[in-house]
Amino acid sequence: MIQLKNIFKWINTGRNRVFILKDINLEIGEGDFVSIMGPSGSGKSTLLNIIGMLDEASEGQYLFNDTDVFSLKEKQRSQLYKENIGFVFQAYHLIDELTVYENIETPLLYHNIKQSERQSMVADILDRFNIVGKKDLFPSQLSGGQQQLVGIARAIVTKPKLLLADEPTGNLNSSQGEEIMELFRKLNEENGTTIIQVTHSEKNAGYGKRIIELLDGRIEKN
Amino acid sequence: MFKNYLKTALRSLFKNRFYTAINIFSLTVGLTCCILITLYIVHETSYDRFHTKGNRIARVIMEYNFGGGSTTTGNFTSTKVLPAFKRQFPQIEEGVRMHQLERVIAYEDKLFTEKKVMFADSTVFNLFDFPLLQGNPKTALSGSKKIILTQTTARKYFGNTDPVGKILFMSSTRIPFEVTGIMADIPANSQMRFDMLASFSSLEANQERTYWNANYTTYLMMRSPDDIKTVEAKISAFIKEEMKDQGSVHLTYFLEPLFSIHLQSPYDSFEPNNNILYIYIITGVALLILLIACFTYINLNTARSLERAKEVGIRKTAGATIKQIFVQFMGESVVLTILATVLTVIAVWLVLPLFNQLTDKEIPMSLFYSKTIILSLLGAVLIIIVLSGSYPALIVSRFQPIKVLKGSFARTSSGNALRRSLTVFQFGISLFLLVSTFIIQKQLHFIRNKKMGFDREQVIILPSDSKIMSTIAAFKAELKKVPGITYVGRAQHSPHNIIGGYNMRSAQMPSNAQLNVKADPVDEEFIPAAGLEVLYGSNFSEKDIANVQDYTFDMDPALKNFPFIINETAARQLGWEPSKAVGQKMFLDDTRPGYVKAVIKDFHFASIHNPIGPLVLFPTQWSSILLVKTTKGNISTILAGLENKWKELAPHRPFQFKFLDDEFNSMYTSEIRLGKVFNIFTGISILLACIGLLGLCSYAAQQRIKEIGIRKIMGAGVTDIIRLMSADFIKLSLISMAIAFPLAFLSINKWLQSFAYRIDINWWLFALAAVIGLALVLLTTGLLAARAASINPVKNLRTE
Repeated sequence: MIQLKNIFKWINTGRNRVFILKDINLEIGEGDFVSIMGPSGSGKSTLLNIIGMLDEASEGQYLFNDTDVFSLKEKQRSQLYKENIGFVFQAYHLIDELTVYENIETPLLYHNIKQSERQSMVADILDRFNIVGKKDLFPSQLSGGQQQLVGIARAIVTKPKLLLADEPTGNLNSSQGEEIMELFRKLNEENGTTIIQVTHSEKNAGYGKRIIELLDGRIEKN
Repeated sequence: MFKNYLKTALRSLFKNRFYTAINIFSLTVGLTCCILITLYIVHETSYDRFHTKGNRIARVIMEYNFGGGSTTTGNFTSTKVLPAFKRQFPQIEEGVRMHQLERVIAYEDKLFTEKKVMFADSTVFNLFDFPLLQGNPKTALSGSKKIILTQTTARKYFGNTDPVGKILFMSSTRIPFEVTGIMADIPANSQMRFDMLASFSSLEANQERTYWNANYTTYLMMRSPDDIKTVEAKISAFIKEEMKDQGSVHLTYFLEPLFSIHLQSPYDSFEPNNNILYIYIITGVALLILLIACFTYINLNTARSLERAKEVGIRKTAGATIKQIFVQFMGESVVLTILATVLTVIAVWLVLPLFNQLTDKEIPMSLFYSKTIILSLLGAVLIIIVLSGSYPALIVSRFQPIKVLKGSFARTSSGNALRRSLTVFQFGISLFLLVSTFIIQKQLHFIRNKKMGFDREQVIILPSDSKIMSTIAAFKAELKKVPGITYVGRAQHSPHNIIGGYNMRSAQMPSNAQLNVKADPVDEEFIPAAGLEVLYGSNFSEKDIANVQDYTFDMDPALKNFPFIINETAARQLGWEPSKAVGQKMFLDDTRPGYVKAVIKDFHFASIHNPIGPLVLFPTQWSSILLVKTTKGNISTILAGLENKWKELAPHRPFQFKFLDDEFNSMYTSEIRLGKVFNIFTGISILLACIGLLGLCSYAAQQRIKEIGIRKIMGAGVTDIIRLMSADFIKLSLISMAIAFPLAFLSINKWLQSFAYRIDINWWLFALAAVIGLALVLLTTGLLAARAASINPVKNLRTE
């Protein structure tokens, strides 16, 4: 599903070139559950963003389902992104002005899905996540764990093939974190959703099928 | 999708009530100013357009010169012009002579002074579209002593009864006029707005002997619009032929197209003209205000967009394209602008009466619904949406999700330059207007307080007529019995505005070397009542005035010997040192030989736009005004006393008074109005600029929130933060000053040049504007900086 070949990422600060990623070669198949680990500044998030098409590499090739992502035009890339990828953030990133229901509905709007269909899709997710009673609340009225639940619901409501999560439990306590991880495992096993998560925690990484360790922009262990 | 946009938009607008309010407020203010000014311009340019034959009509302008001295030009002609021209030029289809007078009108127990009684030839309805509601336009004015009333006037005298056929009495001699028709009230955009229209023949002025005696206005209607130019080109030769016996006298006529009179002619019509220059100035100001409002909007919205950055990031990761985000944010501006437009319509409706008061116009609200106004409102709305909505939307839609969601908002310098130049521009406009306002106000203050050389305080002007003049000595004596009245002088013209062209020459000068001069026929109490200063010689005596009584019109001029009082300028022009002029022989129009009895100090007997010219005062038996000088005291008791006397002495005429001071001020109405307009627009533009600055400043504060937090942890106090934040804006306002002040100096200096007597532009006026500008910048930025500085730094730094 994902093939990264000789990926480099650097930024220029004055005369110096600082490398964030160095010669990353990686293959991730459909249905995989990968945890990316490593210390701060090792390039985990950058790698995730490149995979998520939110950032570009400075050099190298990225094939997503055999499509060369970097050679695509902005429009085609965002189409590819829209159809395949869902994102979960450490800070949940819900739209404060919208209710739980409306937040989950938002990506469906950008997928041009009809009103009646949207309703059933959102209702389905709410039901699955056991948050039907919260659907008319605003994010500020929810706990962190509940907000992240909504964040995940929003990420998967469009049924993406690939779910990317950047420290999804970073802002949560351990019991909430476990709940989220269980959910991820279920998504992976029952729906076959490919999941890539960035995490600091060995325990959370253990939920995955595969662990990639990064150090100073290089893959140390695969 | 749309519902989702609308929901987010409304909720976010509501959540940021403060921003939304000032946003809508500034847009509404800008739009309202714009609409009001457009209304004004549409009104001014629509003058006289309702006359369907107007493009074929021209007004006749007379120009003459008695072979020396200056040339006089004006909107007056003798009654001979129309018949003579009509015989000579076949292109002239029709014409009308008109003359507007103030007349006392009596009907049963009703007695009014009508300020606008128009006398016109019966052809008036062939030229002008004044629809008659009753009566026949062909016959209503044919024959002497016929009169047509406007609807309002008819109601004033006759209530609901039919006035046609009734008799009104005119003047102190109560001449009967038969009412022969009712006409619709004249629209506000007409150069003549009389209340009564009487037949021209009633004036008994019609003569074809001379081109002089030019007191009437002549309008000509050609067979085709092009004929105006054709005829005008032939006038000069025709008049030369007509005047060939009159030696070195120069006389000619010009034609002014009817439609160009109101805005382009230097000669007023029956209603005051407007100057096309003021139309340009006001249009400019309107556009500036609209621009300022747009810039404020841009600055505020870009500032606010930062708060929405997270939302944009989320939407983008949820699959939104740049276009979708752009459309969403444009949609929000559309919502805001529509709200502002609705408010604008209400505001215009509320403010129009005040605006009319300010401009001294009667612009009807119905004009608002005209095509031009609706189109320009839509145009302005479109400009606002495209100009101000698109920029923030563009900025926002280009946010990169990973950056905004990481919370580390990279301080992009893109767009900064634009926003800064908008602020410089905005502030520049405000400072420009501020300095201009200061200088205009100072010049107005100068006019009001300049020593004019005559007393204008405690002087009351009363009208006079032939009935009053028949017993004037007793009349004056009775008035002076009212406590507080010291002098009652008579004159033709009030000392603040002496008009009327005469010629003068000294006995030594040849008779064809005439000098143009203003003159005022007066009595012996005029000089003390007006507070004029006699430098050499002595004031007229009662005997001087009595003597003139014997000088009849047909008498041989050689037998007359007028005493003259001249001003210093007249003495010098006649070739004498003012101190040596007394006793010299001179002529005022060759019909009045005489000698200089006194020289008075120069005073401003006309607008200070012009330098003081020569002036002659001479004794007269007939006057049109009484100048009543009162002591300092309770003016209302004096007026009550005067009114009682008046009712007793002149029951044929309503008691009517004016203060010389008010009359004086009314000479500068257009300047005073310009001053008021500038006051208001300066206030508005400064307010809008400050709001814009507030937006820009809060944007900066948000961008630097982390920096501020770090500085505070390092030990910076609130004042340090304020200084840090304000420095940037102080720099911007200094740049605005560098641009605005020279421009203001140049343009306002041009305006000042139109006054012969004017203030110097002081540097401290600019300094004052600079101080005010900087104070406002400090206040606005300081407030926000203080707020930013007082936030707990730990809060700001936790986002990482």
